[in-house]
Amino acid sequence: MNIRTIASALAATSVLTFSVPAFADTDLKIFVSSQHQPDVWRKVLDKYEAANPGVKVAIETGGNTSEAQAQYLNTVMSAKDTNLDVLMLDVIRPAQYAAAGWTSAFENKDMSVYLPAYAGANTVDGKVVALPAFADAMFLYYRKDLLDKYGIAPPKTWEELAAAAKKVAESEKNPDLQGLSFQGKAIEGAVCTFLLPYWSQGKNLVENGKLTFDHEAAVTALKLWKGFVDTGVAKKNIAEVATDDTRKEFQAGSAVFAVNWSYAWTHFQGAESAVTGKVGVTRLPALSGGEQASCLGGWEWGVSAYSTHQDEAKKLVEYLSSEDVSVFMAANGSLLPTYAAAYGNNEVLKAVPWFADALQVVETAKPRPVTPRYNEVSEVIRTTVNAVLAGVTTPEDGASQIEARLKRILR
Amino acid sequence: MTTTSILNAATSADRGPPAWTRWLDLGDRALAVVLLAPAAILLALIIVYPVLRLGYTSFFSLSLTSGLPAEFVGLENYSLMLEDPVFWETTWNTVLITLITVPGALLVGLALALLANLPFGVQWPVRLSLLIPWALPLSFAGLIFAWFFHSEYGVVNDVLIRLGFESIIWFNSPNWAFAAICLTIVWKTSSFMALIILAGLQTIPRSLYEAADVDGAGRVRQFFEITLPLLKPSIVVALIFRTITALQTFDIPYMMTGGGPGTSTSTLAMYIHQNTVSFLDLGYGSALAVVMFALSMCVTAVYLRAIRTKE
Repeated sequence: MNIRTIASALAATSVLTFSVPAFADTDLKIFVSSQHQPDVWRKVLDKYEAANPGVKVAIETGGNTSEAQAQYLNTVMSAKDTNLDVLMLDVIRPAQYAAAGWTSAFENKDMSVYLPAYAGANTVDGKVVALPAFADAMFLYYRKDLLDKYGIAPPKTWEELAAAAKKVAESEKNPDLQGLSFQGKAIEGAVCTFLLPYWSQGKNLVENGKLTFDHEAAVTALKLWKGFVDTGVAKKNIAEVATDDTRKEFQAGSAVFAVNWSYAWTHFQGAESAVTGKVGVTRLPALSGGEQASCLGGWEWGVSAYSTHQDEAKKLVEYLSSEDVSVFMAANGSLLPTYAAAYGNNEVLKAVPWFADALQVVETAKPRPVTPRYNEVSEVIRTTVNAVLAGVTTPEDGASQIEARLKRILR
Repeated sequence: MTTTSILNAATSADRGPPAWTRWLDLGDRALAVVLLAPAAILLALIIVYPVLRLGYTSFFSLSLTSGLPAEFVGLENYSLMLEDPVFWETTWNTVLITLITVPGALLVGLALALLANLPFGVQWPVRLSLLIPWALPLSFAGLIFAWFFHSEYGVVNDVLIRLGFESIIWFNSPNWAFAAICLTIVWKTSSFMALIILAGLQTIPRSLYEAADVDGAGRVRQFFEITLPLLKPSIVVALIFRTITALQTFDIPYMMTGGGPGTSTSTLAMYIHQNTVSFLDLGYGSALAVVMFALSMCVTAVYLRAIRTKE
C-alpha cells in the first residue's frame, strides 16, 4: 500500500465521518412524570417521529409524586448529566431551574398565545425558560347521585360542604362513606390544602418576592381542615392521605366530596370505577364571605442546559407545546389545555364535556409562591399542615411556625 | 559453594546484610511505614479527603438552586444551626432512637443468639431465620412495616381489633409513630447483634459449663458467671457497630413516616438528606453532616476507651 492509497483512504474516511451527522438519527430523551400518561405522550411523539425522519425520541419516566420527580431531576441536573434533553416540570419549578441555570431559554417566543398564568409561570426575569405542557387546577369532585338524592346543590362554601356531608352521612348510614377526602400527608398537595382557604380570605403569601403572611388568615385556614377532622367530615387518618389516595377513595365510592386535580376525572369514568356516571365536578368552595380560590397546577417542558442537542430539543418542545398537541392531549388524555381556544374545541368537548366549565377555574387559579427556594417554602407548609391534621400542633402554633420559618427562608 | 555461602553468611552477619537487601532493611519503624503507605494513601483518598472537604464546604454558603457562586461565610452555617428548631428536634429524635433501639436490639439479639446456640434441632431454622432480617435492605424493611402499621390496611391493627382492642392510627401520633419505628429498627437490627454474639458464644469452651455443672452451679448462675463475662468483647463490638448505625438512622423512618407527623419522627440523617438532596443547600447540609460525624466519633471514642480500661 503506497502513501497515496493511504492518504485517499484517510480522506474518504474523514469525509464519511463528517457527513455522518447529516444522515444519522438524533436521539432525544425526554423525562415524563409517570402519573401524566407517558403512553398518551408516546402517541404524540410517534407522530413527531413520523414527520421528522432522523429524530428518535425516547421517554424516561420516574416518580409518582412531584417531590420524587424533583429529587430525581435535582440529582441528574446537579451532576450536569447530558443524558436528558427535555424535562417535564411541575409548574412550581421553572423559576427554580432557571435560577440554578439548568434550563436553556427560548429566544423570541411569543407567550401571549398561552393562558396568562402559564405565560407568567414560564417567564423569569423577562426570559422564557420553559413552555407549557398542560394546564391544571384543583377542583371539587362530588357524588352527583347522592346530592341529587337528598336535593342538595353543589356547595359554594366550605360550611355548605360540611353541612351537605353531614346530611348525606346521616341519611346513608354507611360507616365507610366519608364526607370529604383531601390531601393531609406531607406532600406537595398539602401546600394547596393550606393555600385554598388562606387565599379564599383574599390574602397572599408572597408578593413581589416578599413574604406577606397573614397570621389570622393562616389560623383560620388550618382551623377549617382540623375542624373537618374533629367533626368527622374527613376521616381521622387524613394525615396519611396523599393525592392518589384521595382519587382511589373517591373512585371506590367511599367519599361524598374530594379535592383533586383534573387527572382524577378520567379515572372516575374508567372501567375500574365504582362511580362512573355519578360524578360531578365544580369550583372549590370559599370560606363564607370569601372568594372561591383554586391552586394553579400544570406541567411545563424545559430543555436541559446540559443537552447536547439544544436545537433539536427546542424544536421538539415547540411541537409538544403547540395548540394541536394541547387539543390532542385534552381529547385523549384529559389533560387541560394551555390555550383558551382549545376549551371550546369540539373534539375536546366531545371527549371531556366538563372542560367547558374548567376554563374559568384555570383562569382564576392562583399560582403558588414563585421563588427559587420554593422547595423549602413547600416543606415548611406541608409538614406543618400534616402536623396540625395529626393533632400534634394546634392551628395557632402551626401558623406561627409557618410564619417564623418562612421569614428565615424568604428574608 | 556451600562452604563459601556459609562463610559469607558468617562474615555478612558481622558486616550487616548484603548490599542487595540493604534498601529493604529500613528498621522496623520505617518498614512499617512503607508497608502501610498504600493503605494509608487509599484511606486518605476515600475517607480523610471527603471528611476534610465536608468541613471545608461547611464554611461556605453553597446552594445549587440559587445559581450563585459559593461564598465564604465562616461559621454562619453553624450559628444558623443553633437557632434552627428542626435541627434540635431531629438531633433529639436521633439520640432517642439510639437510646431505645441499641439496648433493645442487644437484648433481643442476645436472646436470639442463645436460642440459636441451643444444642437441639431448632438450631438451623433459627440461624436461617436470623439471616433474613439481616439480609433485607433497610428501605425494604421500612416499606414492609409501613404497610404493617397502616391504619386501615395494616396487619397490626387487624390483630389489635381481633384481640378486642381499638385500632390505632400509628402515624398520626408522634409517640405511636416513634414506637412503630423503634420496633421496626429492633426487628431489623437485632439479628445482626445475634450473629455477632452467636460467634462469641461458640468460642466459649464447653468444658467451663461442664466444670460448673460439677460444682453445682445452676443455669442462671452459669449464664451470669461464665457466658456474659466471656461474651463481653463480642457485645462491645456489636454495640459499636449498632450505635454508629443508629446515629445514622435514615431509611426506616424515611420509608415509614417520612419524618411525620410534622417533623416529629425526622432524624438528623433525614434532615441532612433534605438539605443536601431536596434543597441542594450543600453549605448548611455539610455543616449538619460535620455535626453528625463529630457525634459518631465521640460515641466511638467512648466505646474504645471503655474497652481499653477493661483490658
